[in-house]
Amino acid sequence: MTDLAPPAPGMLEDLRRRFFASPLQALVSLLSLGLIALVGWKLLNWALLSAVFDASQGAEACHRAAGACWSVIAARWRIILFGLYPYEEQWRSALACVAVVAMTVLSCIPAFWTGRRIAAIWLAGTTVFYVLMKGGVLGLSHVGEESWGGLALTLFIFVATCLIGFPLSIVLALLRRSELPWISRTTGLIIDAVRSLPLISILFTFAIVLPFALPHWLQGDKLYRVIVGSALFFAAYQAEIVRGGMQGVAHGQGEAAMALGLSYWQRVSRILLPQAMRNALPATINQFVISFKETSLVVIVGFFEIIASGNAAYGTGEWRFAYAEVYTFIAFIYFVFVFSLSRYGAFLERRMSVGER
Amino acid sequence: MATLAQSPNPDIALRIEGMNKYFGNFHALRNIELTVTRGEKIVVCGPSGSGKSTMIRCINRLEEHNSGRIVVLGTELNDDVGNIDEIRREVGMVFQHFNLFPHMSVLENCVLAPMLVRKLPRPQAEEMALRFLEKVRIPEQASKYPGQLSGGQQQRVAIARALCMQPQMMLFDEPTSALDPEMISEVLDVMVTLAADGMTMICVTHEMGFARRVADRVIFMDRGEIIEEAPPETFFTASRNERTRQFLSQILNH
Repeated sequence: MTDLAPPAPGMLEDLRRRFFASPLQALVSLLSLGLIALVGWKLLNWALLSAVFDASQGAEACHRAAGACWSVIAARWRIILFGLYPYEEQWRSALACVAVVAMTVLSCIPAFWTGRRIAAIWLAGTTVFYVLMKGGVLGLSHVGEESWGGLALTLFIFVATCLIGFPLSIVLALLRRSELPWISRTTGLIIDAVRSLPLISILFTFAIVLPFALPHWLQGDKLYRVIVGSALFFAAYQAEIVRGGMQGVAHGQGEAAMALGLSYWQRVSRILLPQAMRNALPATINQFVISFKETSLVVIVGFFEIIASGNAAYGTGEWRFAYAEVYTFIAFIYFVFVFSLSRYGAFLERRMSVGER
Repeated sequence: MATLAQSPNPDIALRIEGMNKYFGNFHALRNIELTVTRGEKIVVCGPSGSGKSTMIRCINRLEEHNSGRIVVLGTELNDDVGNIDEIRREVGMVFQHFNLFPHMSVLENCVLAPMLVRKLPRPQAEEMALRFLEKVRIPEQASKYPGQLSGGQQQRVAIARALCMQPQMMLFDEPTSALDPEMISEVLDVMVTLAADGMTMICVTHEMGFARRVADRVIFMDRGEIIEEAPPETFFTASRNERTRQFLSQILNH
């Protein structure tokens, strides 16, 4: 008589149906469970129960213990985070990291998404970072780019790559859609050329080959040349992502905007890009994540970003055995940043799906 | 032979003279001649592929004509971008597939162009938008997004959006062909009201009932040419053109 849906199975019943439906399935389930428990216990034991946290007894205490030697982090974290930056000045590097993170977080908040506010945030953020890191003014001692390192350097390269590369990618995508064939073809050629080169060869070229080709006043520090190269690489990939997003915008959208009298830039900024970026969002977040991790490649051209500083942290005789702990710590830092980025992407997707059925 | 250049007649909304349009080698429009006076309602019909849509899309430069002249509201449509902008400001258009901006609410859809193009302050733009949404009978949907509305509601929003620019002429490109049958009349009703207000209208449509009620002239096109041009009563009952009669029998007798 009634047409209620059948009652949902209870949790136990649900487990039984999913994992213990037949004897063989039950066996596989039990074996897997045992394996997971074993690995989980080993990990827990290594990471926490038998681990050494107290740095006061130095590396000796670790040799006696069976677990992880976290005291290496307590003893060497400043090298990991700040690299070769002068020890007494490392507070500046820390503040600079905070400035870059604050700038990134602020520019992720929709309330700040007007041209003027974003520009103000970025200008303030990069200025504070640069003044703190480089010094030479306001009574701060001068620290050259060659001494920058660790997390501050990784963050700076990543953020600068995105700040230059992202707008560039939109420009490239728009040029590639140009109705003038010589513009769209030339842009396409540039994008495809950059994409067919490995990032390492681009970094090498910009860091080492370019100084021979450029006049001295155009060279800048190696750091900035590397950032330009990495931004170009980012832009070439991101331009194709943006272009894909634009192809997903119905042709009629531009026509409707034209018929209403909107100018080219109004159509691009109000109609085309908002919809294209919504389409391109998952791939864009992906590209940001990849770029963040690819910053580690600058070690090739002699920069002490966070992984290189990590190598230095366990590289001295006393801590030579503690590489696993150092890498776990670095992995954790990467995880914090990349995971936040992914979560932010999910937030944006929810926000942008407003108005969809 | 009165040519328009010497005598800009303020009563004339649109004059097309000897207009041709090609898509590659395909001759899409042949020697189009058309004059529309202010306040006139024109219905354009004809078989698919006959160039109806292309013709009205040439009027606001969504398509570029290859030869001949088009003068819209006293402004010649040529490569002068200023002229194109001026014409687009004064000519509203409604599309078959609505083309509302899906990332904006109904209200934002309506205030966007008045604020960006006419530089209207937001309060005035919103007030006007609500007035026109009232006119198309959906003021209560202002804060919704296009995806949340039915096809008929979306098309009425599209009409309101075009009206918010306070155009002097409206182009309708098959405004009801993408709608479910039960939604056609709500859109046609709005168009009838608009016609009664004296708007200059050019409608590409197969709604012959609408043509009978509203049109001053019906234009029949086939293979890129204007074949016949007549008041509706003559057009529907006394057409002497073979192709017109064949077309009418196809769309009326089924």
